[in-house]
Amino acid sequence: MAEETKREVLGLKPKGDLIREAEERPLQRNPAPALALAPAGLMKGDKCEEPGPDPKPAAAPQQPTEEEEALIEFHRSYRDLFQFFCNNTTIHGAIRLVCSQHNRMKTAFWAVLWLCTFGMMYWQFALLFEEYFSYPVSLNINLNSDKLVFPAVTVCTLNPYRYTQMKGDLEELDRITEQTLSDLYKYNSFNTLGSHPRGRRFCSPLPSVLVYSWFPTPVGFQCNQNKSDCFYQTYSSGVDAVREWYRFHYINILSRLPDSFTSLEEDKLGNFIFSCRFNQVSCSQANYSHFHHPIYGNCYTFNGENNSNLWMSSMPGVNNGLSLTLRTEQNDFIPLLSTVTGARVTVHGQDEPAFMDDGGFNLRPGVETSISMRKETLDRLGGNYGDCTYNGSDVPVKNLYHSKYTQQVCIHSCFQESMVKECGCAYIFYPRPEHVEYCDYKKHDSWGYCYYKLQGAFSSDRLGCFTKCLKPCSVTSYKLSAGYSRWPSVTSQDWVFRMLSLQNNYTIKNKRNGVAKLNVFFKELNYKTNSESPSVTMVTLLSNLGSQWSLWFGSSVLSVVEMAELIFDLMVITFLMLLRRFRSRYWSPGRGGRGAQEVASTPASSLPSSVCPKLPSLASSLPSPDTSPTLTAPPPAYATLGPCPAPSSLAGASSSVFTLEEP
Amino acid sequence: MAPGEKIKAKIKKNLPVRGPQAPTIRELMRWYCLKTNTHGCRRIVVSRGRLRRLLWIAFTLTAVALIFWQCALLVLSFYTVSVSIKIHFQKLDFPAVTICNINPYKYSAVKPLLADLEQETKAALKTLYGFSEIKSRKRREAQPWSSAWEGPQPKFLHLIPLMVFDESETSKATDFLTGQKRKVSGSIIHKAADVMHVQESKEVVGFQLCSNGTSHCAVYTFSSGVNAIQEWYKLHYMNIMAQVPLEKKVNMSYSAEELLVTCFFDGVSCDARNFTLFHHPMYGNCYTFNNKENETHSTSMGGSEYGLQVILYINEEEYNPFLVSSTGAKVIVHRQDEYPFIEDVGTEIETAMATSIGMHLTESFKLGEPYSQCTEDGSDVPIDNIYNAAYSLQICLHSCFQTKMVERCGCAQYSQPLPPAANYCNYQQHPNWMYCYYELHKAFVQEKLGCQSVCREACSFKEWTLTTSLAQWPSVVSEEWLLRVLTWDQGQQIKKKLNKTDLAKLLIFYKDLNQRSIMESPANSVEMLLSNFGGQLGLWMSCSIVCIIEIIEVFFIDSLSIIARQQWQRAKKWWSQRQAPACPEAPPSLRGQDNPVLDIDDDLPTFTSALRLPPAPEAQVPGTPPPRYNTLRLERAFSNQLTDTQVPAES
Repeated sequence: MAEETKREVLGLKPKGDLIREAEERPLQRNPAPALALAPAGLMKGDKCEEPGPDPKPAAAPQQPTEEEEALIEFHRSYRDLFQFFCNNTTIHGAIRLVCSQHNRMKTAFWAVLWLCTFGMMYWQFALLFEEYFSYPVSLNINLNSDKLVFPAVTVCTLNPYRYTQMKGDLEELDRITEQTLSDLYKYNSFNTLGSHPRGRRFCSPLPSVLVYSWFPTPVGFQCNQNKSDCFYQTYSSGVDAVREWYRFHYINILSRLPDSFTSLEEDKLGNFIFSCRFNQVSCSQANYSHFHHPIYGNCYTFNGENNSNLWMSSMPGVNNGLSLTLRTEQNDFIPLLSTVTGARVTVHGQDEPAFMDDGGFNLRPGVETSISMRKETLDRLGGNYGDCTYNGSDVPVKNLYHSKYTQQVCIHSCFQESMVKECGCAYIFYPRPEHVEYCDYKKHDSWGYCYYKLQGAFSSDRLGCFTKCLKPCSVTSYKLSAGYSRWPSVTSQDWVFRMLSLQNNYTIKNKRNGVAKLNVFFKELNYKTNSESPSVTMVTLLSNLGSQWSLWFGSSVLSVVEMAELIFDLMVITFLMLLRRFRSRYWSPGRGGRGAQEVASTPASSLPSSVCPKLPSLASSLPSPDTSPTLTAPPPAYATLGPCPAPSSLAGASSSVFTLEEP
Repeated sequence: MAPGEKIKAKIKKNLPVRGPQAPTIRELMRWYCLKTNTHGCRRIVVSRGRLRRLLWIAFTLTAVALIFWQCALLVLSFYTVSVSIKIHFQKLDFPAVTICNINPYKYSAVKPLLADLEQETKAALKTLYGFSEIKSRKRREAQPWSSAWEGPQPKFLHLIPLMVFDESETSKATDFLTGQKRKVSGSIIHKAADVMHVQESKEVVGFQLCSNGTSHCAVYTFSSGVNAIQEWYKLHYMNIMAQVPLEKKVNMSYSAEELLVTCFFDGVSCDARNFTLFHHPMYGNCYTFNNKENETHSTSMGGSEYGLQVILYINEEEYNPFLVSSTGAKVIVHRQDEYPFIEDVGTEIETAMATSIGMHLTESFKLGEPYSQCTEDGSDVPIDNIYNAAYSLQICLHSCFQTKMVERCGCAQYSQPLPPAANYCNYQQHPNWMYCYYELHKAFVQEKLGCQSVCREACSFKEWTLTTSLAQWPSVVSEEWLLRVLTWDQGQQIKKKLNKTDLAKLLIFYKDLNQRSIMESPANSVEMLLSNFGGQLGLWMSCSIVCIIEIIEVFFIDSLSIIARQQWQRAKKWWSQRQAPACPEAPPSLRGQDNPVLDIDDDLPTFTSALRLPPAPEAQVPGTPPPRYNTLRLERAFSNQLTDTQVPAES
């Protein structure tokens, strides 16, 4: 009764095997120590087939057979295995292909179909994978409106000043420059267009050998090390040439400043900034920091990194921004170095260094400059999606600035690195690495030559800086636009000037040219975030794969596991059979005859019909006596099997298998 | 009894709804696993070997978990948007351009109102800074400053005294009006920079705002006296102007003919009639070009020749010396239905300069709920729009502040429009308003008013990116004839010879006629989601919606019915056991025979409870076992017929 139900439920139909198994099992004595865990009870007696679609109500609990079930069981033969696979597989085409061998026509037809769908599917898979592995990104633009952190604002005087330590050197330089100017341009005035280019060397008291070559128009200078290999830097305008030359010497002089030399007496905010307000509130000491730039002079960074509490903007507009009144009087500083008057302002992120060269506005004296900002952030996807870096740690350039990674920082660091490598000293405008000193022709007499060479290599990217320095993945930029109005107005200038000068104990001599006003504010608190996101994610890729798979094959990942299981089983069975054959041949010659008989029969029948090999291991010697009673017990039940095969009203595929084994 | 059973059998036979496929949950599961189309389940049952079975259970469960996880990811990312950027090349509508003079009112016209204030300001300047001579070309009639003190008691200084604070002892202040040292009570909001005056830091100037009736005071100090005086002046100025009716203010300000000396648009001359008046509280009369909704101008070409060219007359002599300290005009480019926030986003124009402003139009469209928090027209934002203009975030913030101001302080702030049923603050009626305003503003900046969280951005907006460049204008050689011609042109309006610093030239134009549209569109649709679901279900388990229905049927409906039946049987057993001691004469064997009978033809509780209960007491009638055996056999035959009610029979 119990067996009947089970058969019905399972819908299995290997009968001949069962019977044969039942008969043969007691005969098998081959021990299989390797598979002690796999006892013989593969095809239990309960595997009877109940063909009738009408289920019998007699439902007996299956517990006893469950207990006997081993940890892992293998089929006795390939035939078993294939039959089992054919009956239970979920791969759609495979059933028709593998399980309908009896009909060549059908098999061929299914093989073609199967191959077609297989090809289609893999073609589609290839397309999907190609799309995924090209790592496409889609751009998202978000408009956020938020309270914004006010960026750092750096204002410079555009007045580099004279350090007392290098006063002597500078005066000497000035004197030579003056002499050169008069000499050069007096001479130049006599020069006619057709004249041959000639050079004249100044026996300057400065250690660097400088040669002025002048042509009808271009004026230049030459940095030279041993006169064998010369570098000519020419300028179309004498002004540029002289300035550049002066700058070169100034750098050298500056590099002699000792390290310990810090700020000087000019470090007074009041001398440059008359008033400072943010968000209608006056600024305080904690709001700014100071540094000196060799060209741009005294620079003050407001709301920089070391601001105690960062300024926030919760409203747009002039009144809610930074407002500065600046003193822009040109002092007697260095006339050949700074040829512009006013101030320079740049807006940058808190954790970025202020690159005064790279961005910024020059403020005109006597004018109120209103700089309105609009924030924009850009988030790129790193990793496979693009070559950007999150924190610069994967860039082979050491960050010399103590700040966040930006591309500009990296490029400057990279240049400095090559400079140190090539020329042996550090360029003064960039931070120097440890244990390296700034370039000075007193110590490194050919650095100028080296520098200009390097500069050329740098700009043509022979140094590889532009390829080494990756873009940062997230960039915050501020779009600036400026409006100008005259300040102070005629009617108000009297009292404004008066008050400013009174307050600062300082008389503004040059009235309007001596002051400038600066407003920096957010134009709007909306900011645009451009971010990238993967347009094909793993989830969508899997969904698409699944769709294609279902469409063409109707199988799933679990079907693949089934296949894997089949292959595993095949391998194990092959191994066991080989083992058994080996044993039967060498160990027990008596039974070997029987084994040989079986072996002989194996090739005779086709692979799935290799009925003969009962897995010897399964009939392990130890369990077999135990199991044999239970196994021998069934025979009476098998009596019911007699009618079973005849009325099998099952699928054609399974019945075909069945019929195949009959002969 | 027998007829009852028969009826029951008949009903069972004819009942369209049968019970579950198997008598126990275990059997049901087995049945399901063998019959289902979902991959994996069949293997659990079919596989031989405990390990194998276990592995298959693990595989199947993993697949189910993966399906759930992946589908959850799909659902979570459903509301994402994709952005498309389109560049159109088309004839572009010119935006509205609003131009204001920085100085709101002609000083000569407004002076009678401000005379007292001016006097006191000058007096304050003199006392504070010893500064007495203001050489103004216009105001020669200015009184000697000493007389300012002889005049009537200064009311402005009295209301809000300007004070000099000592750097060292910030709690001490000198009211310079009386010269007395007074103790400043209340919280000192010390905004003075200790830094600013490192040289020989001394006093800072500020003023004190107190709320009448309470002792709460706030002291505002400024690092620079210029700022202090300007703030102080502005406070009083707003007080005074708040009492002036609008028509009078419009008249005091500049007329369109006065401000706009020449006008040229798209190669065609235009004049003051093309401009509409817009009165701004802080900037006076502003004029908007191209503000008429129905007749918007458009440019046929890009470039400065085809834009708007105006020459503005900025009469510097009419400037209010204390209110504004810079000279020029402000211009703002905006949509026709947008409110021009001159003070926030205007671009300044300098006199004696030609300012070229190149525009580039970007349109943005966002998707609203549920993709983002933006609002289409502001109707779903709980803030009344007090501006007569289309919703924007700015408008919302300002409206919110103004509403709160009316709520807390009882009056409206001067620089923003009036909400209904409110009037502008002035200290005749609201003596405390300034203190209240400052406190409120502080709370607003610190986001304590909740405006920032309530206001949402608008879903679509147009944005003009401006690029400004400057040139000296007029050039030295053209200056003479140009000024002369312009003076002759403006003969009626301006009674003086124009100077080049009185004029400013402005050019506004489209750099090109490319328009950039940034549009969001849903990245996912329901079909996409479903097909992705299908993909996931198919990929892992070859499952479909039918499978899901099957699962629901088997796991919920059938399993529940089985459980319910078992519970019912148990309850019945328990009941019969409880009944048993009540009738001890019944032999236990009888009961043992009885029970299976009762169990066998048990069905859904709803179904049986109606039928079962009446026979139950009957069954307990002892002493008549033989007929019961008959029914038992009958029952057995009966149960064989019913395919759907399989109960473990006694083997």
